[in-house]
Amino acid sequence: MTDHALMSWLPQLAPAAPAWLATLQAAARAQVQTQIAAPDAEAWRYTSLNHLLEQGFVPIDETITALQPDDLDEVLIPGLASRRVVFVNGRYAPELSATEALPPGVHLDSLRDVLAHDPDAVRVLLTAEPATVPLFMALNLAGLDDGLVLRLDRAAILAQPLELIHLSIGLDQPSVAQPHHLIVLGDGAQATLVERYVSLGAAVYCTNAVIEIQLGRDAVLTHERLQTESQNAFHLSGLSLRQDANSRYQSVNLGLGSRWSRTELLTQFCAAHAECDLRGLYLAGDDQRIDYHLDVNHAVPNCTSRETFKGIIYGKGRAVFDGRVVVAKDAQKSDAAMSNQNLLLSPQAEIDTKPQLEINADDVRCSHGTTVGQIEPEKLFYLRSRGISAALARRMLCLGFADEIIHTLHSETLREHLSEQVGQRLESAPWD
Amino acid sequence: MTSTTAVNDLVKSEYEHGFTTEIASDTFPPGLDETVVRAISQRKGEPEFMTAWRLKAYRHWLTMTEPNWAAVDYPKIDFQAISYFSAPKRPEDAPKSLDEIDPILLETYQKLGIPLEEQKVLAGIAVDAVFDSVSVATTFRKSLAEVGVIFCSISEAVHDYPDLIQKYLGSVVPYTDNFYAGLNAAVFSDGTFVYVPKGVRCPMELSTYFRINARNTGQFERTLIVAEAGAYVSYLEGCTAPQRDENQLHAAVVELIVLDDAEVKYSTVQNWYPGDAQGKGGIYNFVTKRGDCRGARAKISWTQVETGSAITWKYPSCLLRGEGSVGEFYSVAVTKGRQQADTGTKMIHIGKNTRSTIVSKGISAGEGQQTYRGLVRIGQRAEGARNHTQCDSLLIGDRCTANTVPYIEVRTPTANMEHEATTSKISDDQLFYCRSRGLTEEDAVSMIVNGFCKEVFNELPMEFAVEAQKLLSISLEGAVG
Repeated sequence: MTDHALMSWLPQLAPAAPAWLATLQAAARAQVQTQIAAPDAEAWRYTSLNHLLEQGFVPIDETITALQPDDLDEVLIPGLASRRVVFVNGRYAPELSATEALPPGVHLDSLRDVLAHDPDAVRVLLTAEPATVPLFMALNLAGLDDGLVLRLDRAAILAQPLELIHLSIGLDQPSVAQPHHLIVLGDGAQATLVERYVSLGAAVYCTNAVIEIQLGRDAVLTHERLQTESQNAFHLSGLSLRQDANSRYQSVNLGLGSRWSRTELLTQFCAAHAECDLRGLYLAGDDQRIDYHLDVNHAVPNCTSRETFKGIIYGKGRAVFDGRVVVAKDAQKSDAAMSNQNLLLSPQAEIDTKPQLEINADDVRCSHGTTVGQIEPEKLFYLRSRGISAALARRMLCLGFADEIIHTLHSETLREHLSEQVGQRLESAPWD
Repeated sequence: MTSTTAVNDLVKSEYEHGFTTEIASDTFPPGLDETVVRAISQRKGEPEFMTAWRLKAYRHWLTMTEPNWAAVDYPKIDFQAISYFSAPKRPEDAPKSLDEIDPILLETYQKLGIPLEEQKVLAGIAVDAVFDSVSVATTFRKSLAEVGVIFCSISEAVHDYPDLIQKYLGSVVPYTDNFYAGLNAAVFSDGTFVYVPKGVRCPMELSTYFRINARNTGQFERTLIVAEAGAYVSYLEGCTAPQRDENQLHAAVVELIVLDDAEVKYSTVQNWYPGDAQGKGGIYNFVTKRGDCRGARAKISWTQVETGSAITWKYPSCLLRGEGSVGEFYSVAVTKGRQQADTGTKMIHIGKNTRSTIVSKGISAGEGQQTYRGLVRIGQRAEGARNHTQCDSLLIGDRCTANTVPYIEVRTPTANMEHEATTSKISDDQLFYCRSRGLTEEDAVSMIVNGFCKEVFNELPMEFAVEAQKLLSISLEGAVG
């Protein structure tokens, strides 16, 4: 790990930054340096940073304004959502966004705006501890630039899903965008957020996004994250979730695109009876590297978590699943179940999976299950005996495998769209 | 009785086998350098190749650092404060039969419940008992020799079968493997050598009882088992140790070499001194065990019951090279008091159609800390490989820890890998059911725990299975009112 490549991701500190922010960013910068000097070998056991570092990414310092709403057409999913917030290369693009007529109690701003006009409002929302976050979250914090600030007051309900689109366009110089989003749901608030990562064109670029979510008592958030970037993109994303009593978080993480990606999901229960359901599907083919890290903290008693991740790996694809459930000393009656299932379709594909449990309380129900296998020949034979071609039969079986995750998406439109995307990808997959 | 009291009782239960035998030891002063390595080799009258190998190992060891990735916590070991050689009195007239053995020694074995003579007769077990670092008793060698099985101490093997030693020693666990394996290669004192020739089924279970005795003496045992094509051997290893204050380091190396169609079954019951209530004084058990299935359809089966030691760091592994070779790992590990165990296995699938099974049962009580750490690697050429892993943890009391850290790496699409893990406590329903049938709470717990471990106990040879169940009951005595 070379020092300069990552440090050069950081823009110069804005001179006008308030003192607390400067302190926080300095702490984050120190954490980046610590992590570079002594990398967490376990966290990076299966993923090499070399490929990422070789690209020599530099921070983006221009706001792209040349895009017209029409340019969005190719990335929009018809009929998905009426409201959307668009970020182009990590910067809020109001001209492309559609945020009219928000229900009462729903506040939507750009982080830049809030930092400029009411920085102290951001202060209470930034909960990530710079000294303990993983490398790329620290890097993102140190380079804090823009992002979405979505606040729902007590009992506010955002009935229509909100689409958060990260649109990336390659620049002359390979660049890195580091948006940082803050989502806060007050007590009893409810929302559905569809977070998408898409590319215009096929240039090499990097996204290092962080999303911090705080759920108040009884709050419910449905969070669907679709990463369908171009095969030349580098993708890093970190989620930091904190849940208050009785809150419910349901998420689906779909990783289909990008050449090299790593997703870190850090969740923490702060009060009893909260529920967290993390589901995911990853598709790694050709030369793709896809890496998922879960860190689920049962810090308090009586919480429930479910982690269900499935992967399809083909070509020279390589996937990593590193899931960890930690039950703290007094977190009795914790209930956690983690499952990771993988289909390996070709001889060059590789899966490295590491589902960990760390249990420090006795009255708990914790389990994990992992499988790696191929398409069962009997199933294939059954379909072939019905006159279905081998290629189609394989695709059907893979789609069936993927459907357990896809069918949990909230909207029919999205389910169809994703099934189609997975189907298309599999069509081009080499089978031998 | 409340469960807190129960756990307290468990933590307090004294180490049953804690006593020290007073026997004059011929012990080197503490410290380690090339002179010590040479002196060990010289004292054992080893040929030049062994001395050279030990020195190479020692020089390499100096460049290595202690591993710190395991989830165990202990004060730093001062390797210069350990004495690296300790032989029982009068090594020059080593006993030829039981009659010649020091009566105090025999008494020690009897206290441990290992009546050597009776065992010979009753159980038909050949016992190569290791007291401190030099083998003092080897039995049944004659009847083994009739079928061509070599069963002797490794020091004897170095003299009598130098070709076999040169060919196989360090071929599975090279001295470059890890810190403790490097140290072991440099200073190993003694151990066991088993050679089963082609097509021979070893007529009896082979067994070594280890004892750690002299103060401050680290035990560096070396075991080498070679099973030629079509051979079969079952090897049993069990140990207890006297109570003492200083921590003792035990860094053994076990190597198994299994050729075509051969099978080695290696069973361990480990009950070393776990330390007192504050976790002081227990054994550090840092062991490297690895078997190499070099031939087609070779089979290695590791079974372990680990109830002792302050710290256990142990991953019996299988290299499944031969086509259709099979690796098995069955483990019961108990941590109570302040015991810490980081244990598991590695199954490295290299050949086609290789199969492995892992069954790990962890029981953590009191302030015990336990980690299952395992690796299943299925390489690109291991077509049709299969693995099934099951690790279950049982927690008794709310201050213990159970971790599961499996590493799974698969590179071939025709492999099938399944892994499941659960963590739970003894359910109130189960307890209630047993109590309603008139069982005391203690019997109920013992029954449930034994049931939890049954899959593993079934794999043990009969004599060991009985001992293991007894050990488990004793270990958990007082766990509940």
